[in-house]
Amino acid sequence: MRVITRQVENQPLTVIIEYPEYDKSASDLIRKINNLNFRFTAFDEEKQIRIDLSDVYYIENVERKMFIYTEKEVYRFNSTMSEIEEMIKETDMVRISRTCIMNTIHLKEIRQVKNSHLEAVMDNDEMLIVSRKYLRDIKSVFKRGEV
Amino acid sequence: MKKVLRDTCLLASLMILSVFGLSIIWSGITAEIKLVFELFGLALIISVSNYLYDELVSLSIILSYIIKYFLISAIVMLFGFIVGWFFPSNFWMVFIYVGVVLLMSYFLDSFRIKKDIDYINKKISSRDKKIAEEK
Repeated sequence: MRVITRQVENQPLTVIIEYPEYDKSASDLIRKINNLNFRFTAFDEEKQIRIDLSDVYYIENVERKMFIYTEKEVYRFNSTMSEIEEMIKETDMVRISRTCIMNTIHLKEIRQVKNSHLEAVMDNDEMLIVSRKYLRDIKSVFKRGEV
Repeated sequence: MKKVLRDTCLLASLMILSVFGLSIIWSGITAEIKLVFELFGLALIISVSNYLYDELVSLSIILSYIIKYFLISAIVMLFGFIVGWFFPSNFWMVFIYVGVVLLMSYFLDSFRIKKDIDYINKKISSRDKKIAEEK
């Protein structure tokens, strides 16, 4: 892979990806750049904050209010589940239950508790409940780009 | 293999629907044709109920199947009484039919979940290995 950089004045930061054929590495690279470019605008009390997608662990709907959880902080986010689902297409985030969207970048393991419910263990050891219905969607995030 | 089986079932359903649908032109609605359309109607009702149940309820796999067993049995029983499949003396057969279908679904579902979890965990560990190598 060649990396060519050049300064172009009066233009926004632009990434052009050229590939001989669209394969897994091209798709992975595009997804990584999409992830880098993605930011949520959330609120810490009244203060507006921009959060990189890579810092988000999960987004949860608690009593019709949306919250963004990073490794240690929680922020208020003004949006709905369906709007967020629309935003996160082509990123590593995926819906895992009726009320939760998880960032698979921070996923450490999925496990089934004795034929019972499913749990997602995050890299900060936090655990999230996964609905069986959404397990296929998590799998498809990992499957994306496979040829 | 899974795709072939799924496509076979879909094709068989389409064949049954079109063959029995066309047969109405020549032989009218016979008992067999009526039964086929009733089964498709019941399948639609069960699929919609199952979809709504999965959307609204999140329980452990066993508890979920137990509730589904009673829910689907009730739907089949009600539907069966309306279309005249059952008589008060043989309605208990619903529990056997539904039980057999749900037991098969349960084992298929458990197997699929285990396979999906293994796949995801394998992908996570190879991703983490790759990140560690890059560092």
